[in-house]
Amino acid sequence: MIDLESVALRYQSGPDILKDVNFQMRPGELRFLTGPSGAGKSTFLRLLFFALKPARGKARILKRDVASVKARELPLLRRKLGVVFQDFRLLDHLSVFENVALPLRAMGQAPETYERDVLDLLDWVGLKGRTADRPDTLSGGEKQRVAIARAVVTKPELILADEPTGNVDPALARRLLHLFLQLNKQGTTVFLATHDEALIAQANGKAIHLEGGHLRDL
Amino acid sequence: MAQTSSKPSPIFPKGAAPLRALTVTMAVMCYLACLAIGALVLVNRAAEAWSQGIAREVTVQIREISGEDIEKSLRTALGILKTNPGVLDAKALDRQEGIKLLEPWLGKIAMDELPVPRLIRVAVDEQAPPDYPLLEKSLQSNVKGISLDTHRRWQAELARMGRALTLLASLVLALITLASIMLVVFAARSVLEANRSVVEVLELIGAEDKFISRQNDKQFLNTGLLAGFLGLLAGLVTFLALGFSGSAAGDSVAAAGRSLLFAPVDVELRLWAGLLLVPLAATLIALWTSRLTLMRMLRQHA
Repeated sequence: MIDLESVALRYQSGPDILKDVNFQMRPGELRFLTGPSGAGKSTFLRLLFFALKPARGKARILKRDVASVKARELPLLRRKLGVVFQDFRLLDHLSVFENVALPLRAMGQAPETYERDVLDLLDWVGLKGRTADRPDTLSGGEKQRVAIARAVVTKPELILADEPTGNVDPALARRLLHLFLQLNKQGTTVFLATHDEALIAQANGKAIHLEGGHLRDL
Repeated sequence: MAQTSSKPSPIFPKGAAPLRALTVTMAVMCYLACLAIGALVLVNRAAEAWSQGIAREVTVQIREISGEDIEKSLRTALGILKTNPGVLDAKALDRQEGIKLLEPWLGKIAMDELPVPRLIRVAVDEQAPPDYPLLEKSLQSNVKGISLDTHRRWQAELARMGRALTLLASLVLALITLASIMLVVFAARSVLEANRSVVEVLELIGAEDKFISRQNDKQFLNTGLLAGFLGLLAGLVTFLALGFSGSAAGDSVAAAGRSLLFAPVDVELRLWAGLLLVPLAATLIALWTSRLTLMRMLRQHA
């Protein structure tokens, strides 16, 4: 699923943010990425969703060499990924239902073909009664659940989450973690970046630590 | 489930501030384009009318020569003119009428003693005009001090002026088009900048460029059409106001406005075709320039 060999990452001509990183992840695995703020966790995730190319080394994600992926191939590859961000990245002028259905709409599906699935998904994240509401009327936890529903609506092979519990209280963080664990049990590969070590302990998951540009197992 | 049965909302938010500003600015540009088209049609029509008026008439002038009976010369000239093929009518102006024609240049002065030339107004058949060199030769061999003015020089001058005004109006139209394109390019950038987060989300969820472009097209299509028709409406209201303004705006202005509104069918057709092109052009400009700008932005993201 993910195979990184001596990968270095940097923005344009800046310094290396990741140095000589080696990392493998098989389908169906759950992994946590930890590290202090500014360690480069988000940059690492950008590599995983094809927004950055390695400066050095070899990166294979979803069986594709990241360096050789062409711009026109990105949409199809990204449909195999579900990405969740700390700041949700929801479209405030669309309803909860429309936000969740957005990836399917972008794939050209008609509303009547996905209506049932989206409603089921909103039921799963506990937001069935909020389908017509706008994101700006939701709490942080509710917004994150909408973002999770949007990330999984296309049944992706790999879920990437960048600090998904960063804006919610511990009780809500546990509920969100439960959603990711459920997805993983269903066979979805989940890679979750967080600085919340209690959350990792709770999930009893394998974690890697990023600091000073280097990655090590915990 | 109300949100699922109704039409999906536009993916780009409606009524973004830069889009509203673009609508207003483009409507103003379209209004100016309508005025320029009106002016173009008006100038063409006026130049045609002047040229036709001049082509329908020629003037024969007889200078007073001592020892010559000018009344007899007039009769001889009229005789020659009326029998000449291509001449529809010939009418001699009396001395007072001739003096009146000089008043704009000389003012009201006593001209009884001055040798004022006598004039004959000759109406000619535009389709089959007389052979002017032959007619002039015939007149000069029978009447002393006679000359024929075919107004060719004036006709050429008017045609030149008409062409210059047409060129000027066309230039104004071209500048308006160019300015509109530049405006849309800048506005499209502002709108897309305002919607950058939406574009980023769309790219992240695997939307293809053509899907993003279609969503963008919808908003710029609506903007172009709305601005075009607002400008056209304002232009028509202006023509109507000019046409019915009467003494308030001065007779010549009102006449110009009326001549646009109540022109012959071919002129009306030209005018309407030009005016209806304005919203069409505005829509196409908005659509294509915004699409190119978006595509450039998406290429930079990739």
